[in-house]
Amino acid sequence: MSDSVLSIRNLQVSIQSRDGSMNEITRDVSLELKEHEFVSIVGPSGSGKTTLLRAASGLRPPSGGEVIFDQKPINDVPKGLAIVFQEYNKSLFPWLTIGKNVAMGAAEYSNQERAERVEKALIQVGLSGFATRYPWELSGGMQQRAALARAMVSNPRLLMMDEPFASVDALTRNHLEDVVQRLWDSSTFAALMVTHDVGEAVYLSDRVLVLSARPSTVLAEIKIDLARPRSQIETRRTGRFGELVAEVLERVEEAGRASVGIEDTIQK
Amino acid sequence: MIGVKAGPRRGSTIARAGLGWLGLAILATVWQLLGMELHTAVFPTFITSLVAAWHVVTSSTLTTDIIPSLERTAAGFLISAIIGITAGMVIGHYETVRDWTSAVVDFMRSLPTPLLVPIAIVVFGINGRMVVVTIISAAVWPILINTANGTSTIEPTMIDTAKTYGLRGRKLFLKVVLPAASPQIFAGLRVALSVSLAVMVVAEMLGGGSGIGYFIANAQQSFNIGGSYGGVIVLGCLGWIFDTLFLMFERRLLAWQRGTVGGLLDV
Repeated sequence: MSDSVLSIRNLQVSIQSRDGSMNEITRDVSLELKEHEFVSIVGPSGSGKTTLLRAASGLRPPSGGEVIFDQKPINDVPKGLAIVFQEYNKSLFPWLTIGKNVAMGAAEYSNQERAERVEKALIQVGLSGFATRYPWELSGGMQQRAALARAMVSNPRLLMMDEPFASVDALTRNHLEDVVQRLWDSSTFAALMVTHDVGEAVYLSDRVLVLSARPSTVLAEIKIDLARPRSQIETRRTGRFGELVAEVLERVEEAGRASVGIEDTIQK
Repeated sequence: MIGVKAGPRRGSTIARAGLGWLGLAILATVWQLLGMELHTAVFPTFITSLVAAWHVVTSSTLTTDIIPSLERTAAGFLISAIIGITAGMVIGHYETVRDWTSAVVDFMRSLPTPLLVPIAIVVFGINGRMVVVTIISAAVWPILINTANGTSTIEPTMIDTAKTYGLRGRKLFLKVVLPAASPQIFAGLRVALSVSLAVMVVAEMLGGGSGIGYFIANAQQSFNIGGSYGGVIVLGCLGWIFDTLFLMFERRLLAWQRGTVGGLLDV
């Protein structure tokens, strides 16, 4: 247990709706994330993936259960945990240059060290030379890379990502997946990613957890035994990749079918 | 400037400023012709009024009335800005505070200024302090309401991001909430600036003891018709100067925003 970076134990999250009634989003989710492990959580839409991630990162208090990061229970976003959000255009501060946005992640260092770290992080994501630009001067993919640089600048032990590539086009998505893979390969952080893209989850992860519809529980855990480093073309060409995608997809479909009734009531 | 290139519409900016002057010239001409046509003592021509305005700013009225009015307006506006922005951010950020204060805010901002002046006179006397307080009582609301609105509609992701990077309390407000809400804060400030000028005049007319409003009221009551129109022209010029300075300041601080608005289109 000592080599686990994050353990989520029987996490339960209920959100109060406008009329005052409690909505149970997450019923019972447990997971252990080991040192330098890449785990993805997939689930049908509306299964409360983002809520789960917000509770797991300390951004919102859970209604039950606990989250242990680095041996300590968390009640706030702890040091050493970085988060990349889906909407880069709402997560990067538009009034700051890219360099200053990235420097936000390294506030605790001296001026000189911060400048060096920002420089290094920008090189890692292929954005050196863009430090003085504003976010709106960059394409969507570049903005998300800047957000990644901001997350990496403090050498986190754990990187959480909430549908990090959902707001960009397919080719940019492939490219960003490889940026993340390269960062992960060349570093020691563990990663927890929430996504609805099964191919992406299989491509990047060591394990994929399938969430049920809400109130969500962990429905299945699939080990991804694909060789690393992976490549968009070679890895996706292998039969094993297809099998794993199909396997995860099957479980997600099951979860989705079970939820159709619930989904309808939520919509109304 | 902060790394923002000059827009492609520079030429037309000059053309638009030219149109502004043309509009002013037309207004002055109409005034002049109307004054000549009516030929009455209570409506002097534009040129007569302009000469009177010149006398106002070159006489001792400059130091006894105009400068005190400027100081009061500036003080009232700045204090309103500090109170309005601070309270607005707190009210906008915390839903509970919003629920508790919304009725009070709605009640207070509905009170008309002329109603408050007599009370202010009783409390503070006939002086500049009374004028400043009256300005604040009216100018604080547009700032507060716009700030609260801007704050409560900040993207939750932005606040989450700030929290992820350890920004809490005062730092969260200064480094994220304030800049994120600044476009709406500035909209409120601009309204508050013209409210400050208008309320300054009303308060001074009713009991300032000195100031441009007091001067105009005095000129009216002593049948110094030219003087009162001169005062009105001076007042208009002050409003124009204040607004121009304000827009220069805003353009500088919100340079990043022009980029976001134009830039999102070609992403």
